[in-house]
Amino acid sequence: MKYALFVLIILGALLFLDISCKNDTHDAGKTTGHISFNFTHLVDWLPLEKDNMKYINAAGNPYEINQVMYFISDVTLHKSDGTSKLISEWTDIHYVDIDIPSTLTWDVYDDIATGAYDSVSFIFGITKEKNQSFRFVNPPEVNMMWPDILGGGYHYMMINGSWKDSENVIKSFAFHLGIGQLYKSNVIEVDSIYAFVQNYFNVKLPNSSFTLEENKTRTIEIIMNADSWFKTPHIYDHNYWGGAIMQKQPAMQMVKENGFDVFRVGAIQ
Amino acid sequence: MKKKIYLFISCFLLLAVGTRAQHLTDTIVLGGVVITDTLIKKTPFLSTQVSKEIMQSVSTRDVGDYLRSIPNVAGIRKGGGAIDPVVRGFKFSQLNVVMDGGMKIENGCPNRMDPVSAHVEVEELSQINVVKGPFLLNYGPSLGGVIDLQTKDPHPYAKFEIHGNAMFGYETNWDGAKEYFSLYGGNSKVYFRASGGYRKYGNYSSGKADGETTTYNTSFTKYNYGAKAGWAITDKQTILAAYSESHGRDVMFPALTMDEKSDDTRMMSLDYSAKDISEVIKTLDVKIYRTNVNHLMDNSNRETWQAKQMVADVDAINTGGKAILGMKIKNQNLSVGMDFENIYKDGIRTMTMLMMGTTSTKRFNLWNKAVIQNGGVFAGYNTSFKTFKLDAAIRVDFNNADSEDTLKLIKNGVEYFNETASQFVNLSANLGITHKISEKLSVSLAIARGTRSPNMLERYIKLLSVGYDNYDYLGNPQLKPETNNEVDLTVKYSDLKLGSMYVNGFYSYVKDYISAKMLPSSVIMPATLGAPGVKQYVNVDNATFTGFEFGYTSPQAYKLGVNVIAAITYGMIPTVTKYIIKAGQVTGDTVIKNDALPEIPPFETTLSVNYQLLHGKLVPKVSYRLVSAQKHVSDAFYEPETPGFSIMNFSLAYKVSKNIDINAGVNNIFDVSYYEHLNRKIIGSTEKLYEPGRVFFVNLNLSI
Repeated sequence: MKYALFVLIILGALLFLDISCKNDTHDAGKTTGHISFNFTHLVDWLPLEKDNMKYINAAGNPYEINQVMYFISDVTLHKSDGTSKLISEWTDIHYVDIDIPSTLTWDVYDDIATGAYDSVSFIFGITKEKNQSFRFVNPPEVNMMWPDILGGGYHYMMINGSWKDSENVIKSFAFHLGIGQLYKSNVIEVDSIYAFVQNYFNVKLPNSSFTLEENKTRTIEIIMNADSWFKTPHIYDHNYWGGAIMQKQPAMQMVKENGFDVFRVGAIQ
Repeated sequence: MKKKIYLFISCFLLLAVGTRAQHLTDTIVLGGVVITDTLIKKTPFLSTQVSKEIMQSVSTRDVGDYLRSIPNVAGIRKGGGAIDPVVRGFKFSQLNVVMDGGMKIENGCPNRMDPVSAHVEVEELSQINVVKGPFLLNYGPSLGGVIDLQTKDPHPYAKFEIHGNAMFGYETNWDGAKEYFSLYGGNSKVYFRASGGYRKYGNYSSGKADGETTTYNTSFTKYNYGAKAGWAITDKQTILAAYSESHGRDVMFPALTMDEKSDDTRMMSLDYSAKDISEVIKTLDVKIYRTNVNHLMDNSNRETWQAKQMVADVDAINTGGKAILGMKIKNQNLSVGMDFENIYKDGIRTMTMLMMGTTSTKRFNLWNKAVIQNGGVFAGYNTSFKTFKLDAAIRVDFNNADSEDTLKLIKNGVEYFNETASQFVNLSANLGITHKISEKLSVSLAIARGTRSPNMLERYIKLLSVGYDNYDYLGNPQLKPETNNEVDLTVKYSDLKLGSMYVNGFYSYVKDYISAKMLPSSVIMPATLGAPGVKQYVNVDNATFTGFEFGYTSPQAYKLGVNVIAAITYGMIPTVTKYIIKAGQVTGDTVIKNDALPEIPPFETTLSVNYQLLHGKLVPKVSYRLVSAQKHVSDAFYEPETPGFSIMNFSLAYKVSKNIDINAGVNNIFDVSYYEHLNRKIIGSTEKLYEPGRVFFVNLNLSI
């Protein structure tokens, strides 16, 4: 009996032997802060007024804007020593929609090393590697889907609105940017597509230097000046390109090239 | 040296606990209408036995639903049926749910629309046995407990006889009808049993809140049939062959992203039994089985079908067997055995998006020819000496798993999903001692270690909302097994005049507890409509479960019967990361200390009173169930609190003749609007799925 009790105690101890404690593995030595982006949308450097046919673009088209939706991705913070920080620890693609206030602020999850940063850059749209169909299945991002037959993935941008044509007729435009197609003939038929064109582009924000302090959050305002899509270096004429350009690579090429100065940095706080 | 040898032998014998002896002969009877046993038992752990008579007396349409009436057993409701049992906060593969003493079924549905308990109908069962804690090791690896669903077996007759049984049941509220027929008989050599059932239930409505009820899309149709044939080779040897099928059609789950379009399950087994083989070897039981589940689900009954169609088709096959030898040497019972199971799972999800006038279709696997093999050897021992009884068991499992997955998910050097193969050797053991202080009072202390390897879901599932939240879940092939180290202290008292009672307290320390953590959207995006993100199964350092149970049953000799049960479990995780979510974006994280584990049921107690009239032929019964609010909820999992509630049920059991029984009654008499803490949320909302409101029911049993 004594032995049995002894064994019982020993066994009990053995059973619980592997109960152990684990140390917290947090990195305590790193000095970091956070950043947040606010997205503002202007036309002619004034706050965008939706659904108001009050704007005239460089081609002389009276127009109004009803919706603005787009993706930016691979935001990178550059330091003067050539190093950079890619924002990707949690999210590497951010969706912006002027009708969804929550998308107009992006509180970045990443811990950002403190110090001085020279500039901020990002990809307008989504790179080929990441722009895969079914990447997004939930609204609102899923509504940016780009048909598989036209290249798949998602729209980089949708600006929907309307303009008055040369005969003063109001027509809708779908100023959309995504993967372009090259067609074998002048007739735009999906059967004649022989290649796709990635139309995403890199944006380096001018005057975007900032300093980040430990445990502080730096808020950076990113401004889209929407009328810039229609000018410099190319004058974009709705009367020429018509309402929809998803299957017009020359038009999308123009939009892509016009995108270089669309974004600016506003307040950095 | 002799002492060392003695010690070694003692150690082995103590480790080799009497699993055979544990085999459900020592039970604590559930508080119910029929009290058939005493609460004073000699095993140092808690087990509950439910007889078919008790099950037939209530309006049970689902085994899982019925299990919820057992102390410290709760259930996860996602629809009208298929309630997934939770024992002391342990759930899913933390529980070893088997049929007929060892047959296992791998659920086809990743969302667990079809837990094992959903593949068998209540009418098929002769009894349910629930063992809490990792004490019963001869049914396979056990971490949190064992639920054995024993179906009715045919038996030999002295001369040829044939009998029949029919049952008809109806429930209001969801217009539920069920029928069941069985035919059984045979002679001294050959005997059989054939049976089949059909049930069709509509949508149920919750109880009234502010004069309003809510109707949920919970309808389902199920049918089953099967047969067993036995052959008495000799007086001491028998063979039993069994084949059955169960089918589900259009089973609705408003708390899941899809509904069950069809579920077809086939179960077959062959049992060989021998007894009194020699002076020492008393029994030999051998079983082989195969279960095959084909599960098809989609969202064709949802509004989302118009824009996005999801169809998942899964095959799950479990093939296995076991052999166990029972020996008796004087007052010592020893058993040794081995078992094996091979689980195969393969599933495809097809997604079709209809947008901008075009259609995009993508097929990707949920499982890709995944296989888990588990082989175990086990032994058990028990003996009595003076006023003590000793129980011990040991089990070693060899677990291998692999899959043909091609998914590689590696980012910044972190391998989220890569190498799919894994092998483990797991040790489980328990030891308990019961001291009979007097004829009426006993005290038991039991310690146990139960280890189980990760299951198919935890290892290999790919992007489906299978958790209690709406996140998509990703398997983790490199998960480690989790181990429950548990101690149980039980006091039992029984008196012919006062009745029987027990009090049990337990503490579980689960090492390498399998939980889930969010993955960055830059690593992987959800694939299920409505899923806000992706979580992956991970081992966390540890979690603890603490709780107690209390049960009282008045003496059977009195016409007035009183039964009281009460139970609570408190689950806690010492350190957990909470992700800060603002406007749907993850903006940071924080470490929380001593957070509650999610999906732990609150304290509840039930008082049942019955009275035997007409010499026991007529038994009215009223029960009152009081459930407290659950405020100990997981902060890290954003788990909402649940308000408390109380409900009252009434039933009347009338034995019209030896051939006719009628059970009728009303559940939720006052039409209370309530939901259990474990009920899942309605998809697309933050509202929980409520329990049914008032239900009148009647069951008619005919037998010849």
